[in-house]
Amino acid sequence: MRPAEAARPPKARRVWLGLASVVALVAAYTLLSNAYRVVDPSLLPDPIRGVLRPQILPPTQRIFDAFVQLVGAGASPVGGAYVHTGDHIGGLVEQRVTLQGSLLISTYRVLIGIAVGGSLGVLAGLLMGWSRAVDEYAHPIYILFRSIPPLALITYVMLWLGHGTAHVLLPIIYAVFTVVVIPTYHGVRDVADIYVKAARALGAGGRLLLSRVVLPAAGPFVLSGLRYALIIAWMTTVGVEMLMADEGIGYLLIGGGMWSSRLEVAGDPAVIVVGIVALALVGYAMDAGVRVAGDRLTEWVKR
Amino acid sequence: MNGLWRRRLWRALLSVGALAVLYGIASEIGSALLPRRIWMVAHYLEDVELLPPYRSLLEETVFLIQSGILPRSVLVSTARVFEGLALGAAVGVPLGLSMARAARLECLLDPWVTFFRFTPALALLPLYALWFGLGELSKILLIATAVAVVTLLGAYQGVRDVPRVYLEAAKSLGASKGLILRKIVWPAALPQIFSSLRIALGLAWVTVVVAELIKATMPSLGYLLALAGAYPRVPTIAVGIVTIGLLVLACDAVALGCYAVATRWMKRSPAHA
Repeated sequence: MRPAEAARPPKARRVWLGLASVVALVAAYTLLSNAYRVVDPSLLPDPIRGVLRPQILPPTQRIFDAFVQLVGAGASPVGGAYVHTGDHIGGLVEQRVTLQGSLLISTYRVLIGIAVGGSLGVLAGLLMGWSRAVDEYAHPIYILFRSIPPLALITYVMLWLGHGTAHVLLPIIYAVFTVVVIPTYHGVRDVADIYVKAARALGAGGRLLLSRVVLPAAGPFVLSGLRYALIIAWMTTVGVEMLMADEGIGYLLIGGGMWSSRLEVAGDPAVIVVGIVALALVGYAMDAGVRVAGDRLTEWVKR
Repeated sequence: MNGLWRRRLWRALLSVGALAVLYGIASEIGSALLPRRIWMVAHYLEDVELLPPYRSLLEETVFLIQSGILPRSVLVSTARVFEGLALGAAVGVPLGLSMARAARLECLLDPWVTFFRFTPALALLPLYALWFGLGELSKILLIATAVAVVTLLGAYQGVRDVPRVYLEAAKSLGASKGLILRKIVWPAALPQIFSSLRIALGLAWVTVVVAELIKATMPSLGYLLALAGAYPRVPTIAVGIVTIGLLVLACDAVALGCYAVATRWMKRSPAHA
């Protein structure tokens, strides 16, 4: 039974429609966000008066300006004409926080989280899926720990590890770990099982069974778990950086400061929008990377 | 079957019990050996119990419950989660259903769905705080956004996976569009919608706790954690973490139960036996 694939327009039309929808909405936003130049907002009725301000809806060209400023922030002269601006973007430029630099730091954190948490998660999933005894003893504990949101641990972890690299990375690793375990587990237990029985009957065992049967069979599940883990890792990274870190894209979004003082910086929506769009693009690119690599690795499934 | 479950339960209790006993021993040894003064960034923190023993955890729990702090926090956070969940699902599910049924709408919305899918919901927090203030609205809308994306994708995938044979059979028998939607598309997509709701519920808890931590403004579980972390009072942190964990666990169990009830009909179908 094939899924309902009918009535899908051809690809060119899909792309065209998607593009048209993006252009239309951006154009509409540009008009709306520039309306304050034409009409005096204070004359408008209450909810609209509050919204139609550049501090709330930044005009499109200001978002673009913020982008240019943030990309070039690293090149700003040090010790030159020092103007303490105190606003969001001024503070970032003073500290020479660039968009690309922040993204790089966050990407690095995400990748470490995926590498460490992912391998631990796959290992735990393999063990639990492979051995019934391990499953029965360890699964309840896993469920208990999985229920704790990783970022809730951050204040406690800080007491143990101090305020540093490990402290920032641990919640990300933890988050990735808990996400990757279950798909691996199901891949090994539910899917690989039948192949394992067949291979055993043919006399395969030990290492051969693991490398040629279990891992390839669980592979597609691990990969789809990994794609979800990427989303969770980015979410956790942004959260950690907003709370604790002094660099990275979460720091850029929230405009610096530490812990409680972070409330005091008035956010600049233009900077926040630039950060959000950048995050979405990087997230999409990383997901596409895993998808392409995954398709290559699991080509055998289609046969 | 019964014996199998009994063994599972027994082993589960055994391992969780062993963990609890181990913690008890570790905390007793720890309270004697671990430092109580900790250097943190620029100053010493005094009187820190890194591994609070059970008696101080119990004392703290009793205090937090009697003073009404914990029940109030639980109520505030849970209300936010469910309000956000309801709002998000009310937007996400119908959108997902209609996107899967109307090809042109799908093409128009596709770039935006992709955009929100890869935007970490927490990144929207500063923007929402700016737009909707630091109060209730920004947090509920943040949860709703995260939930809407997940349920939209679940509903969409659920409808997409409806076997074409069902649709064609109904059509050739003369079923109207409304009837097909009610009797075929909806029940067939329901399992996917429910499983996406379960994921969304977990995500909602993660989002609310962090949103409350970052913009801590009123009694709630994240606020409790932030406050306890600022002193720091480890027993309070521990009680907060355990409470959140238990709430997530309970919500997940309820979601799983709903899923089982909603998909009971599937067991009758031999294809899933």
